[in-house]
Amino acid sequence: MRTIKLNKNSHKLVDDVLKNLKASPDLGIYKCVQCGMCTSICPGASQSDYDPRDMVRRVLEDDVSIVDDENIWNCFSCYTCNSVCPSGNNASEVNQILRQMSIDKGEGILKIQSFAAYGDSFIELGVGSVPSKFFDDMVKDVGPEYMNLKLDIEDIRSELGLGSYILPEKSIDEIEEILDKSGFKARLKRIKGSKK
Amino acid sequence: MKFIPDKEILLFKSCLVNVEYPGVESSTCYVFDKIGVEYHVDERQSCCTGLGHYYDLFDQLSTITLAARNFNVAADTGHKNIATMCATCYAILKKSAKILNQNEEAREEVNGILDDSGLEDMEYSSGDMDPARNIFHVAEILFNKREEISKHIKVDLTGFKVASHHACHYCKVHYKDTIEGIRDPNLIDELASACGVETIGWYDHKRVTCGAGFRQRYTNKEASLAVTGEKLQALKDKDVDILLHMCPNCQMQFDRYQPLIGEKLGTEFNIFHLNIAQFIALAMGADPYKIVGIQTHTVPVEPLLNKLKQPFNLKEDQSKRNSLKINENRD
Repeated sequence: MRTIKLNKNSHKLVDDVLKNLKASPDLGIYKCVQCGMCTSICPGASQSDYDPRDMVRRVLEDDVSIVDDENIWNCFSCYTCNSVCPSGNNASEVNQILRQMSIDKGEGILKIQSFAAYGDSFIELGVGSVPSKFFDDMVKDVGPEYMNLKLDIEDIRSELGLGSYILPEKSIDEIEEILDKSGFKARLKRIKGSKK
Repeated sequence: MKFIPDKEILLFKSCLVNVEYPGVESSTCYVFDKIGVEYHVDERQSCCTGLGHYYDLFDQLSTITLAARNFNVAADTGHKNIATMCATCYAILKKSAKILNQNEEAREEVNGILDDSGLEDMEYSSGDMDPARNIFHVAEILFNKREEISKHIKVDLTGFKVASHHACHYCKVHYKDTIEGIRDPNLIDELASACGVETIGWYDHKRVTCGAGFRQRYTNKEASLAVTGEKLQALKDKDVDILLHMCPNCQMQFDRYQPLIGEKLGTEFNIFHLNIAQFIALAMGADPYKIVGIQTHTVPVEPLLNKLKQPFNLKEDQSKRNSLKINENRD
């Protein structure tokens, strides 16, 4: 595989990963001994060319091409790698940070655009919902009774003695305000508008 | 043994429990009431952002700000301890509390956002929420009261082969706080035991993910269902009748897709899927439709209940009921 090494002695990428808000204070990326436990139990690795051990190596070697590597999108976020790492590293967390870097650069936006409607529903209702395209796929895969379930859900919830799951208006307003001030609304607009 | 509360608990609503398996919530409330757990459900609580977060749509700052608001909702009614029905809510809230406590710059940014939103009274101070002592999964609350659970068991569920599926986001994210095993998880198995049911214990693939993988289920379906199929096959190899869950996303992956995966692999799995709270409620004699909520399951639970000595007032198979309704809709 072609790799780009801007500076052999640079630790810029690993430092950027560690500085990211997602990075746990005890993220032990420097402690990685390249044993490969993570890759050996990884469902993404079993189904694709995703290789968490190699991903971590490339971050440590400041190989910035890892950010554009399609394979980082095959992680299942199951954290099995995290639970078996003998060195206290967390490949799953490193993966999530690299994906955000890809989104910030622009390329990664195409990977998440399909889920943008979830953000819209979160802003409108305070609860996210699965975008209609994926819902249609589920109806096809699960069967038409899945559609009936969705049509009946309010009645079923009443039968079970449960109230509405939609938040009161005041709470929805608070959430919308938070998501505006946190920059999420602008982020969502950028995600939806990108035609790259 | 870590501290686990039985009072002042905010039962944290889950987006997938809400609309996929609401019976998980009614079963949890039913069991909590029986065993004397004091809890509150709050209509102001928002979703944790889970699905959007792991789809990488949400940014971490927005997720922790919404968590700070939910922590405030919890404290506001004197229910500072949070118990989640979903493993992803559990992992996201714990991580949020850790960031809010340890990262001063992030905390100030969050409080700035809350101020700008006119929510000054929701500002977060370091230590307001202790991730290890205030945030739990419902299964842990139940485990702490397992002796009380045993006293209320009325229905004999022995005679079935039962296995457990421990959610990754409970066991493997904040594993220092996980109880009853990380690499060989047994929390659900212990709860089944409190109902008088011994599970099959360890099986090949016991700790493997359900396969949902957030974006993988939607954009990489073949890989996602292949992982689920391998686990279903491992369960079939052990002749398992019932798989017990602790996360609605895992339950969806197995229950909703089992027929399709069976079709693809040319095999019938015949495995029933129940959340551990639904299983305990059933064992306590709860009504299958008014409490346990089996009418939202894709794999019908009626055949399982028909095998029990205890008579339940069952409707016809949900699958038949649904197909009838579709015909009505067509007319």
